Amino acid sequence: MKGYRKYFSKKIVWFILTFIIAFLLNFALPRLMPADPVANIMNKTARGLSDASAVKAMYDNYVKEFGLDQPVIVQFFTYVKNAFRGDFGVSFTQYPRRVNDIISSAILWTIGLQFPAIIVGWILGNVLGALAAYIRKGFDKVLMPLSLFLSCVPAFGMAVILLGIFAVKLKVAPIAGGYGFDLIPNFSWAFIKSIFVHYQLPFWSIVIISIGGQAIGMRSMSIYELNADYVKYSRFLGIKDRKIVGYVFRNAMLPQVTGLALSIGTMVGGALVAEITFSYPGLGTTMLSAVTSSDYPVLSATTLIITIMVLIANFAIDIIYGFIDPRVKAAQFD
Amino acid sequence: MKNTIRQIFHSPKFLAGFSILAAMLLVLFIYPLFVTGNPLQMIGLSSFSKPGTYVSVYDAINTTPDIMKLPHADEKRLAAKLSDDDRIAMKEWLVAAGIPEADIDITDTDALLELWSDNYDPSAKPAGMTMAKRNYYKRLNANLEAALKGTEVVVSEEDPETGELNQIKFVKDTDYVNTKDVVNVINLPLGTDNFGRDVLKELVSATKTSIMIGLIAGTIATLIGLTTGLLAGYLGGWLDDLILFITNLFTVIPGFIMLILISYGIGQDKRGATTVAIVIGLTSWTWTTRSVRSQVISLRNRDHVNLSKLSGHSLARIIATDILPYIASYVVMAFILQISTAILAEAQLSMIGLGPKTSEVPTLGLMMNWAMLYSAHTHGYWWAYFPVLMVIALISFSLNLMNTGLDQVFNPTLRD
Amino acid sequence: MLRGKKLTAILLVLVMVVATVLTGCGKKTTQEETKTTPTQAPAAATTAPTEAPAEAEPETDADPNQLPRTETMYFGGQQWGVINGWNPLGDNNNNAMALSASGSGSRTIMFETLYMYNFLDGKMYPLLADGDYQWNADMTEITVKINPAAKWSDGTPVTAEDVAYTYETGVKIGNNMGNSNKPYIESVTAVDSHTVVIKSTLTEDGKSTNPLMLVNFLGSVYIAQKAWIQTVEARNNNDASAIKADPADDVVYSGPYGPYYDDEQKVVFKRNDAYWGQDASLWGKLPVPKYIAHAIYADNAATEAAFKAGEIDVNQQFIPNIQDLWLKDGLPISTYIDEPPYGICVNIPTAFYNLEKPVLQEVAVRKAIAMAVDYDAINANAMTGQSPTFKQVPRSFMNPTDGEQSMYNHDEVKDLQWVGNDIEGAKKLLDDAGIKDNDGDGWREYNGQKISLVAACPNGWSDWQASMEIVAAAGEKIGIEITTQYPESDPYLTTVTSAHQQDFDIFMMWTDSASPTQPWGRMRYLMSSEFNGIEGNWSGNYGHYSNDRIQELIKLIPTESDPAKVKEYYTEAVKIYLTDVPSFGLMYRPDKFHAVNESVWTGFPEQGDGLNIPPADCTDGYGIAALYNVSLIQ
Repeated sequence: MKGYRKYFSKKIVWFILTFIIAFLLNFALPRLMPADPVANIMNKTARGLSDASAVKAMYDNYVKEFGLDQPVIVQFFTYVKNAFRGDFGVSFTQYPRRVNDIISSAILWTIGLQFPAIIVGWILGNVLGALAAYIRKGFDKVLMPLSLFLSCVPAFGMAVILLGIFAVKLKVAPIAGGYGFDLIPNFSWAFIKSIFVHYQLPFWSIVIISIGGQAIGMRSMSIYELNADYVKYSRFLGIKDRKIVGYVFRNAMLPQVTGLALSIGTMVGGALVAEITFSYPGLGTTMLSAVTSSDYPVLSATTLIITIMVLIANFAIDIIYGFIDPRVKAAQFD
Repeated sequence: MKNTIRQIFHSPKFLAGFSILAAMLLVLFIYPLFVTGNPLQMIGLSSFSKPGTYVSVYDAINTTPDIMKLPHADEKRLAAKLSDDDRIAMKEWLVAAGIPEADIDITDTDALLELWSDNYDPSAKPAGMTMAKRNYYKRLNANLEAALKGTEVVVSEEDPETGELNQIKFVKDTDYVNTKDVVNVINLPLGTDNFGRDVLKELVSATKTSIMIGLIAGTIATLIGLTTGLLAGYLGGWLDDLILFITNLFTVIPGFIMLILISYGIGQDKRGATTVAIVIGLTSWTWTTRSVRSQVISLRNRDHVNLSKLSGHSLARIIATDILPYIASYVVMAFILQISTAILAEAQLSMIGLGPKTSEVPTLGLMMNWAMLYSAHTHGYWWAYFPVLMVIALISFSLNLMNTGLDQVFNPTLRD
Repeated sequence: MLRGKKLTAILLVLVMVVATVLTGCGKKTTQEETKTTPTQAPAAATTAPTEAPAEAEPETDADPNQLPRTETMYFGGQQWGVINGWNPLGDNNNNAMALSASGSGSRTIMFETLYMYNFLDGKMYPLLADGDYQWNADMTEITVKINPAAKWSDGTPVTAEDVAYTYETGVKIGNNMGNSNKPYIESVTAVDSHTVVIKSTLTEDGKSTNPLMLVNFLGSVYIAQKAWIQTVEARNNNDASAIKADPADDVVYSGPYGPYYDDEQKVVFKRNDAYWGQDASLWGKLPVPKYIAHAIYADNAATEAAFKAGEIDVNQQFIPNIQDLWLKDGLPISTYIDEPPYGICVNIPTAFYNLEKPVLQEVAVRKAIAMAVDYDAINANAMTGQSPTFKQVPRSFMNPTDGEQSMYNHDEVKDLQWVGNDIEGAKKLLDDAGIKDNDGDGWREYNGQKISLVAACPNGWSDWQASMEIVAAAGEKIGIEITTQYPESDPYLTTVTSAHQQDFDIFMMWTDSASPTQPWGRMRYLMSSEFNGIEGNWSGNYGHYSNDRIQELIKLIPTESDPAKVKEYYTEAVKIYLTDVPSFGLMYRPDKFHAVNESVWTGFPEQGDGLNIPPADCTDGYGIAALYNVSLIQ
């Protein structure tokens, strides 16, 4: 038990340190971009003004509202103080909307779209990969190159192709949005069905691509494990084939679990293009528009959320690993 | 060494991947020899001309025709102007205009046309007919009038002084010219894009740039990844912790996000293809570090390494002779993967408008980006984006296939 | 007003997790969902009777969550991104259908102005006002009567106090409306409850500073209710910034539609069946669609796809090769005009020269580049033919509408015109001015140095970028090196609006569209030196041109009441503009694109229908008249 405690406390220290540095970077990186953060809102609100002093007054007013007249260090501590209370301030471009409001409406869409897609892609990919490794022969010969090819189609390409075929040509899928264009959200069967229908194309555009990558990884790992000495030894001992296969795939799964944690981290970046192509509201588009308009508070908040999601995923994986993987278990007593 | 290479080329997967890549590279070098000129030159004034051969009408008129009487020529001409749907629509109009339905035979072209010219009135606004439908009838009528105007077309030249039209030529419906006789003919196998550029020419040039971006980014990422991985893995201690910590930061703030931030920070006017390649390289090295590090860790306590250490060999020498050769195959594979991810990263970056400058060189991502900006996919201009996607997928596919092949050669347990 | 931004997303997550991961349990979910529907039904029943009895469509009214297709008109290309607020006093609502961007506002479906401007005939039509406005003898005051029938959404009448208080608050809190009108309007006072007097600020000699800006006020300021403004002031402790930032969910409005639902996917307005405008003094009836809806799309491509699928009825969006939609795809889609340029162009996207650059102070260089540019290529490529050519509408600072074109004498400036792609003429001009290629490298020199210019516009503005590429190509043909740069839009605009800049030599900006102050406003925008040296100058003349005679004309035209004299002045100004070439228009462009899909609704405006309804959004300005004219297809 002492080993575990040491293992976890070391892990926790590293996580906290990573978090602190990442937090600093999340604050600093957007502010290093060479652009005037007030330019965007001025561009929208100062049109038609011919009075120089009025323009300046307006500009100064925004600078003050956004706290940009303070020294950066003061801005940072205000940010820290508010962030710990869960308040990320006001958006520079969607002023007077609050960042919390923007993020909370976007993040659920992203998680709703990406999380099931990643999980389903991961499960299907691993099953196919394992089958390919186990059955080999024709299945493997066809499946392997096909899934490799599919995983090589860029995410936006898959989105565009699916949209072109199913929505534009065949007209069997809706073109854009998260629910029917003629509906108002409510708890009704029609609405839920509409969400489900609109969900299909974005969902499969992510799943198809991730299946390929996962299947290939799983196939290699499984073949590797199938050829391992312990399998031969078990066979020699006369242990049932089914039981051996169970062991093999459990072992082969372990590295795949890490891959899952990582893909959760890249969720937001990966979602971006699918979100744009299908007009799906979400964190990716929120982040991109924040980048192009130097909306620091939104940008810091989105990157912070990504950071926290990845950290939690990694932490969970580390803990699970600590308990299930004998190799890690052994390492604790090194 | 020789043996390994022979083995590699015996792997069907590697061979397949290699052939695809080699074929593409060959095209990249041969095609520009035959079709010269600036790939960014806007040859078309209109955008998205569809694939095919374009013959100058002006030159064709000035070419001596041969006379041919093709069967069904007239029928085809009429069919191009008057489809079955058009006939049904004409019937609808005529019925609405008060002609008894029994009197209209849409299969009898002459009778139909006669009825039509007697009863159609372009200024009429039948109740309940949409603007779109009325406009459709106007166009149909104009088409029919043009088609029925007789069999000869007169070509005239305008006198610049008086503005009079002088007939210079008659074009008969039996005149045909050989495309070889026409001076100006352009073959556009993939049509043109939104700027009126030759897509195939652009695609060839873009593929070259994208592969270059992949090579630069891949080299940078692999070099950094290899160095840091070797240091972290072999030396261990605080340096290992530090390097691992940095790679962890890249997981926590994903590389693609860094890439977006940096690219935006640089600004479009300063983002050349090379700059983009360097930025991609600088943000994607971490997983190479991780894998190299774990390989080195498993090597560093091997007997031959310990022996070298005991013999007092320098760090550089140990790494060069006792570690590198053992992970070389691994590094090559990582390099190949880095190339393919860099090409994808460029495409993705360009898709969201943060790619290299538009006006200098075409890249695969930029071609995609412009096609999407002009909604080529919803308009069905497949030639502007589908070939680009296929090229991206093929490059990536061939590299990955080679990689899998290598994997099987170097890890015998994976062999089929 | 229903509000459920998060509800949708939460539902989505629930549905996905349930339906996708546990596909096996599909049956159970169905049962659960059907159970929830009955609880929803009573709510529907209670809302139904409050609906106007005239709308006798019981089966569609039964479900408040579905927008019946035959009662809803869908729009596209106006609203991008989530709405920030409903505050007519704020500047950043991002609420295109209720409050169009500040400064260029005209009445919307929700907020109303005193008059409506119709760019087709250039006339002002009374909205909240009753009859025409009256000038006093020396043109320093306008008197406007308020229509006694005009009512707020809470049923109280619209009064002269509301107008006065709206203006006063604008000045007090310093919003865009207040700031932009303050230099021209001395006061807005309520003489009695239905009479407003707008007094102009005066010049030293006692004349009105600018009568045109007073007229502009009538057509551009959204009148808000005094009582509501006071509520907002009270809850924000009279803090100017807080008042402007108030999301104003409780806003009182006078227009025919009010907020019904909004989230990150769409915004829906519902007709106020008690709208005062059904009074005979306005149009005597209600607009036809019961709901106005606008889905929020990510980009042009998505909007276009929805438009083609019939999910949008009226689309305000540039669609390249729009004729393909009916010629090739056979869709029931039309534009105002059946052939090029398909719509009415009122805007002139313009390339400005940076006159702080010595080489560009040479008129010959400016004119030569402008002559060499292939405008037909720009029209074909950037506008895909949706713009009249410069052969059809010769260049000036007037937009191509007949009203503006008739304001100057075309024949007098005929010799100064150019239609573009005149490479030889441009070369000759440069040669004659002594600007030649002396060292034989193919590029001309100025003062011994190779001329090298930077042409710029924001990144991703595809039609502008295409134009800049064509300008650069023209430079190459006449031996002037022009390279293109496409910074992101925010840094670009910051540079362009700064007092001095050395980054861009030729750069693109839009111009003013159609309004009662045009073409005077556009002339001032393109040439007035009053904006020079101002940091954060959003008003125009970004190349910092200056010409004394132009300044005089800018002062003279607004106060001149003799139309012949005005025409003379404008002709002189066009002459100067075409001689000095401080900037040059690249194309003509509509302010609002207008395309309609007649799968559900028909009866939209078309050229020659005699209805005088401008092809625009159909939701703002005089174009809203279209909503009274539409009908369902048969």
